[in-house]
Amino acid sequence: MMDENKKVIIVPCSGIGKPYGSVSREAAYEVTEDLRPGQTQLVPLALLVLGDEESRAVVEACPAVTIDGCKLGCAAKMVQQSGGTIAQEFAVLDVYRRYKDLKPQGIAELNEGGQKLARVLAEEVTAVVDGLMTREQGGENA
Amino acid sequence: MSDFLETTVDKFTFKVATDRFYNPEGVWAKEENGRVRIGLSDFVQQRSGDVAFAEIKPVGTVLAAGDEVAVIETIKVNITYTSPIKGKIVEVNPAMNDAPEAINQDPYGAGWMAIMEVTNWDVQRAKLLDPQAYFKIMKGQAEEEAKKL
Repeated sequence: MMDENKKVIIVPCSGIGKPYGSVSREAAYEVTEDLRPGQTQLVPLALLVLGDEESRAVVEACPAVTIDGCKLGCAAKMVQQSGGTIAQEFAVLDVYRRYKDLKPQGIAELNEGGQKLARVLAEEVTAVVDGLMTREQGGENA
Repeated sequence: MSDFLETTVDKFTFKVATDRFYNPEGVWAKEENGRVRIGLSDFVQQRSGDVAFAEIKPVGTVLAAGDEVAVIETIKVNITYTSPIKGKIVEVNPAMNDAPEAINQDPYGAGWMAIMEVTNWDVQRAKLLDPQAYFKIMKGQAEEEAKKL
């Protein structure tokens, strides 16, 4: 069995006040709280920026999936700077390009399109998480 | 290879290619063997944000200077841009459908929007801003934007 302490770390964008940042966080919440609560852990980007030791230790120990709201890619950059390994980078914009009818709007409260886009993104992240868990288990059973 | 005029405002650096002409909203026009390639300036693409979709008027569309030529949807806004010149669109950059982020990555190169067939380029060019004139306008716009930060 996989080390039960080993989880996939989800690091979303911290862009407050921007719909795409909100979509990234909403997707991260869905994965870590609803879809794969036992296998994932959300690490807030702000804690990595502040150099929080506990967060850095978790990121160094576990594979990370980053979800960035824009092409600045702050989540991915901070995971790398914190010594982490990125298993997969997501960008909200890339997913939106595939689902043009789900235009995210609103900030404190995402519109229906934004919520649906977050759901789609969460499912894609979940698929990556499942793949990582399967590989881990396969590796340990080999 | 283009040369550039360059300015840094706040933490942002903006380039203006010196081998083409501009309208005041930052759409550039570059003559190439009798046809004119158009696109967006570096300042415009940085101010607008990451491009999600770019809808360019289709091949065959005849435009006057000032007519709508493109609608760009970015993570911040939807913006309509107007043609800097009069002419007919004869080619649209396929990247505008497949990878519109080319506008952000290479606004003066791979991020071009369309090629137009024009008449009287010399007359039309005289109505556009040369790089130095656009640079001055752009710098003013950038400084105004910086005050809002």
